[in-house]
Amino acid sequence: MSDAALEARNVYVRYGGLPAVVDADLRVERGEVVALIGETGSGKSSLAFAVARLLPPGTYATGSIEIGGREIVGLVPSQMRALRGASIGYIAQDSMAALNPTTRVGWQIAEAFRIHENVGRRQSWARTVDALRRVRIAQPAEVARLYPHQLSGGMRQRVMIAMALALLPALVVADEPTTALDVSTQAEILELVMSLRTETGAGILWITHDMGVVAELADRVAVMYGGRIVEQGTAEQVFDAPLHPYSDALLKTLRDLRRGAPGSAMFQIEGQPPSLSQTISGCAFHPRCPHADERCVVEDPPVEASETRRVACHHPLVVAAVP
Amino acid sequence: MARRLIVRLGLGLIAVLGVIVVTFFLEYVVPGDPARALAPRARDRATIEQIQKELHLDDPLVVQFGAFVDRLAHGDLGTSYIRGESVSSLLWSRLPTTAILAFAGVVVEVLLGTVLGTLAAMNRRVSAFVTSFNLVFLAIPAFTLGLGLLLIFGFWMGLVPVTGGFGPRELILPALSLGLMGAPWYAQIVRDQMSDSLSSAYTRTAVAKGVSDRRILLRHSARNVASPVLTMIGMDLGLYLSGVVVVETVFGWPGIGQLAVNSLQQLDRPVVMGTVIVGAVAVIAFNLVADLLRMVVDPRARTEEGA
Repeated sequence: MSDAALEARNVYVRYGGLPAVVDADLRVERGEVVALIGETGSGKSSLAFAVARLLPPGTYATGSIEIGGREIVGLVPSQMRALRGASIGYIAQDSMAALNPTTRVGWQIAEAFRIHENVGRRQSWARTVDALRRVRIAQPAEVARLYPHQLSGGMRQRVMIAMALALLPALVVADEPTTALDVSTQAEILELVMSLRTETGAGILWITHDMGVVAELADRVAVMYGGRIVEQGTAEQVFDAPLHPYSDALLKTLRDLRRGAPGSAMFQIEGQPPSLSQTISGCAFHPRCPHADERCVVEDPPVEASETRRVACHHPLVVAAVP
Repeated sequence: MARRLIVRLGLGLIAVLGVIVVTFFLEYVVPGDPARALAPRARDRATIEQIQKELHLDDPLVVQFGAFVDRLAHGDLGTSYIRGESVSSLLWSRLPTTAILAFAGVVVEVLLGTVLGTLAAMNRRVSAFVTSFNLVFLAIPAFTLGLGLLLIFGFWMGLVPVTGGFGPRELILPALSLGLMGAPWYAQIVRDQMSDSLSSAYTRTAVAKGVSDRRILLRHSARNVASPVLTMIGMDLGLYLSGVVVVETVFGWPGIGQLAVNSLQQLDRPVVMGTVIVGAVAVIAFNLVADLLRMVVDPRARTEEGA
């Protein structure tokens, strides 16, 4: 039992026997933004969906996942329904597809109040208008009456955020919510999220592969590779002195992107990320790691953990900083 | 919106006029002389010529067409050669009968198709069953199905009358035939649309909001599935109102379809024209109604580019 927005321990997710997430430990405090980063197939989405219990039918997570102090692994569907929306909010990547095209956006937000708090039409609508005002929508009453296709991408994402925060959940899972937006809209949304997390006190688990977003938004960072969380720390720690060679490589690609280095001069991580069906002995990153030796090939590196920092590597880059 | 409606009505009118012109002239391509059909035993030319004169069959084709259009413009569909009754009163007496069958048939096919399609979208085994159901009832010809139903429910089980006619008990089998033949189309489209909807991102959003499965089906997916179903209902209502020839004939249901077939055989040109006009107007009107209803359930259909 903890008061954290999210406390996940020993989480495993398997798709028909294939491991997508292996032994993940993750904690999100209230009012904190934790970025979960990694390439496609790293398991970041699987872990996030496990946390929101949105995994595909027939797929289950094992381990322990507490949301606002309440264990959700093993809950029956009706108990889970009561938590969804109320204790866990979810912001999807593509707001056009994630909003029902045939109903007014206000109705879709009001539904959260209706099903969880059993309030009437008038009251749920009034609270919907408030929820839209909270995400800085200028004419909330008018916007509530519009349909998704009548809104811009940025406005739709604001609506999604308003919906996710409607019932002031302990935790919000955000699945790359800014990927589909243009740069200036992206900046507005990030700014909005930054102020909302202090206003509402929600813990935010932000899934992304965009290191730029991480740098602007995250308090703490968890890097995933091959289904494992290979490094965790505060944003400064991970950015200034990454311990895992994979985090270091990710940051180098970002630096080159920022500098606008011409194609050939850009840093690239050699090789491909592992697929689900591949079993890699030892450390999952060893085939692509410049520091790998025989030990990395045979022995899975254990997680070295302190209060603020975790790493799973035989050859961490800054030995002094290893917990 | 109003502009679109006017355009659609205008196009509909042009289509009806086109159908009228084509049908009128096609009737003269059909071999046979209505005068001879009226008086099959008349041996002397004088009688035949007399009848031809009375019916204006000896006028040039263009003059006949002009006269027909002139009468039509005044709301007069002419008089049946055979029955001596005015065509409009003939049609008015048959139209409710056909409308009842059309409506009952659409209700059966929509209910059956929607239930099967929805269950199929949620369950793999039901989906396999629906696939076989669809194959069987798409492949089976109308008269085979009709006679089969008559044999089973009429002759063997004695549940419904086999003599035909108009009445609630007489309605059961023709409505069921129409329903069984139409249901596969609905089952197919509902299954596809429903499984798309249930696996969509907006359904995931609803799940994440804590919405129950039942509510997702009824409040979130239903609206998204309704649009193509409404289009099909409009097409079917129009089609069935223009006369379900085979089903009406097999079950002896005294509707427009029967009237059309008999009139064609008897070369009763005014009545044939009347049934064709009713059919064309019904098809166009119900498609238009379906489009308008689609705009009600799907806001995307309301924008100009969605047309």
